[in-house]
Amino acid sequence: MSDLKAPSENYSSVQTWYKGLREQSGVNPASDLSRLKVLEEFCRYAQLDPDEVVKACLLEKEGRETRISIKGRKRVAQMISDFQASGEGLSPRERAYRGNTIRSFLIHNGILLQAGMQL
Amino acid sequence: MEYKEVVGRRRSIRYFQTWRPVEREKIQIMLEAARQASCAVNATFMKAIVVERDKLDPKTLESLKTPVSGQLELAPIHIYTYADPSAFNGAQGRLKKLVDVGALNASLGWSHKFVDEFVWPNILKPLAENLPQSIALVAGDVGVAVCQAMLAGVDEGLGVCLTAFVPEPVKKALNVPDHWVPMWALLVGYPAESWDGGGQRPRPPMEEIYFEGKYGTPFKPDPKVTEELKAKKLLMPPAPLPWRKAEVKALAQMFGLPE
Repeated sequence: MSDLKAPSENYSSVQTWYKGLREQSGVNPASDLSRLKVLEEFCRYAQLDPDEVVKACLLEKEGRETRISIKGRKRVAQMISDFQASGEGLSPRERAYRGNTIRSFLIHNGILLQAGMQL
Repeated sequence: MEYKEVVGRRRSIRYFQTWRPVEREKIQIMLEAARQASCAVNATFMKAIVVERDKLDPKTLESLKTPVSGQLELAPIHIYTYADPSAFNGAQGRLKKLVDVGALNASLGWSHKFVDEFVWPNILKPLAENLPQSIALVAGDVGVAVCQAMLAGVDEGLGVCLTAFVPEPVKKALNVPDHWVPMWALLVGYPAESWDGGGQRPRPPMEEIYFEGKYGTPFKPDPKVTEELKAKKLLMPPAPLPWRKAEVKALAQMFGLPE
């Protein structure tokens, strides 16, 4: 997927993320669009749209409650680490920001991906 | 610090000064507080292994984390606590010693013979042989001891937090005996967040959880006592304090954590 099918703010996962940032993290996402740019860059990198990134961490089976997929979560966690490492010319702090932005997106969508301190 | 203030100041601290070691004597104080805790049949059911985070190899540290225990990495000291049901062994002798030192007395029905012929064979031995039945009692005692250790830590100016851990890698790394039942990891360090952690945590009102006389009759707190407890700092301003989200954001930036 080279481009998103819709403006990224229209995806429900992005709206959930924004709501979480506003209500639980005390952050106004509209004041700094760099988060969204990082997410869009990650989506291009992963060839997935934002909702698909969340789905990639879930195990959905008909007639069963949706659960977090251990394999899916591991795969996405690795993707984030690779994405973080791929920021050429960036400082370690800027790279950490890239990875943590995607982790924040997933955390507010109910997918916990711990990477620990990124110093 | 006054006891009521110690109770009032305790919070689950999750952000620690990763760079600041904890003095060994403060850990000893915490362990001593645990050792002096009330315990059934004078058995110290709580066992513990104190570990310096920096002495764990990174792979082991990573393997100990549960999905909700990221703070393991931030805390310089981990105290892995266990319930040791084998502490029932020797209860007979310990109870008789309590009779000898005047803690258990004939005036309330205690004697060596009572311990040997009734308490041990009819109560304690069956409990010792039935882990599913005894574990609630044993775990309760561990909780009491851990709580005393936590409060002693707070009194020493430390931050403390109980968290779950993955038992198998800890068992392997720390050579934990097979019969110890994993309880909690008690994380210890100097708080990187403010000591009040953004305010006292929300709790249900007393009358919802405690009853008087019989279930259903709420235990109604006396407002005068409540005011006194505020003055003595057992009751403190509730969370969230107005700056808490900004603090958490700053901590996330400092430690390179997601927001």
